[in-house]
Amino acid sequence: MSKPTVPVIVTVNLQGKTVELTQLGEDALFGRASYGKYAYAVGCERLFGLLDRHGIRSTVFVPGAEAEANPGYVTALAGRGHEIAAHGWAMEEMDAVGVDERVLLERTHAALSRIVGRAPRGFRAPHGRLTERTLGHLADLGYHYDSSFQDDDHPYRLDADGGRDMVEVPHAEILIDATLYGQRQTHDRVMKMWREEIEAMHRERCLITLTLHPRSDYGSGRASRVAALDGLFTWMRKLEGISFFTCEEVADQWHP
Amino acid sequence: MISLAQRKQHAWPDGARCVVGLTLDFDGTSLERGRGQLPLGARSHGRYSAKCGIPRFVDMFTRQNVPWTFYVSGYDAEESPDLVRDISRSGIEIGSHGYFHEGVDPGGAEPELLERTHRLLKEITGTAPRGWRSPSGHKTARTLRKLRELGYVYDSSDKDFDLPYLARYDGEERSDYVCLPNNTSSLDDFPFYRVSYTPPSEVLTHWEQEFDAIYAEGGYYNLTFHPRVGYGSGSPARVAAVEGLINYAKRHEGVRFVGMLELAEWCLKRPSDWRRDWSGQ
Repeated sequence: MSKPTVPVIVTVNLQGKTVELTQLGEDALFGRASYGKYAYAVGCERLFGLLDRHGIRSTVFVPGAEAEANPGYVTALAGRGHEIAAHGWAMEEMDAVGVDERVLLERTHAALSRIVGRAPRGFRAPHGRLTERTLGHLADLGYHYDSSFQDDDHPYRLDADGGRDMVEVPHAEILIDATLYGQRQTHDRVMKMWREEIEAMHRERCLITLTLHPRSDYGSGRASRVAALDGLFTWMRKLEGISFFTCEEVADQWHP
Repeated sequence: MISLAQRKQHAWPDGARCVVGLTLDFDGTSLERGRGQLPLGARSHGRYSAKCGIPRFVDMFTRQNVPWTFYVSGYDAEESPDLVRDISRSGIEIGSHGYFHEGVDPGGAEPELLERTHRLLKEITGTAPRGWRSPSGHKTARTLRKLRELGYVYDSSDKDFDLPYLARYDGEERSDYVCLPNNTSSLDDFPFYRVSYTPPSEVLTHWEQEFDAIYAEGGYYNLTFHPRVGYGSGSPARVAAVEGLINYAKRHEGVRFVGMLELAEWCLKRPSDWRRDWSGQ
């Protein structure tokens, strides 16, 4: 390669009703507590349909409980070339009192391995919350990378943080749809923000990690938002040297 | 079975390509009263609804000659019975919207509050409401049980689908009650005027883009407005944005403006057309 590529990763946090179930029972998942149900009813197919049309293989971070509830869908995503990685059990805060993170990490690992037929190699913490032991547990379980941190323009080694032989594939707060849609920004403002950020990251050849959710509140699952993303991907694909990868591919390139 | 992938399977009144439901939630002083606050000074936004916002909306909807649906809380109806009665007499559907616009799930008190509001609206308008919109979006299986007992046939409160669908609760799908979803993140004025403080012109563009995406799918476009100042659309610039959106939709072929009860009754004529695939949910 004469010119270095600019790696782009599209990640999807597959957050459905497990988000609401941390607070409420199944009988109360109506009204404002029903946004999570949108994910599997509508949002996922809109979002992954778009990614497939653009030939983009994403990395999908899936809570174990979501995979248990929708095993066929998660398996099908893997079959379509998307990477399935771990996203905790059910949107727990791993640093909260009384949470046994080791048990939950193992349970998620077993569920995803069984459902997908392959052990997940990457992890993203629900809510981005870790303890100082999390990376060590992940290393024990054989994980190769984490993608919870937001502290670098490029991948880096996690040995110093307790992730033996692991790589961090960082993402960025401003390139998470929830950051902006969660603040109820319009589509145009989100796209303007992202184009300005991505244009400058591309100029400096940073790792560009985009994080999306298939929901209709803080996510990108609505038809209008998928249409906005369609325009964004079309524009990005014209940027010189841009190449789409999964997190796993970037981690492997960085540290085989 | 309705599906977003097989769009041919849902049909709209009059063979329309896309339906538009414009809804106005009264949101008067019931919110402040419900919190035990006096609606005075900086807490007087709710008083704007009856005085300025609703008349301005009524004038605009009349000028545009489009149907719309009015959701009213029991307390606001008691405060402004003449306003509510006049709007009802003009042929606009009055749906119920809590008693004090309860901000949180009222728990065991809910059935009585639903009944009280139901009775009040019936007394004032002469017609029992058959549609409900959750105040603040809280709704549980308990709510559905009571609404159905009171004779309601729909509510417009859920955010988990893009089309009408038959309600399902207590493990059973109902063929006599339909959910007409709304979305308070994108198809509502509150998020933009209160959370992100976006200028009306940009909000109009956002709603036009929502319309484009829904129209392209031949879908169902439900917008929620509030006649308050502050988080609502009652002020001149914001009613003008709503009118801009109506004009925009009208420029498209096959758009049918509907009242929500009209749409619910249309769906319930052939309930099996509005069954939804619940797998994995």
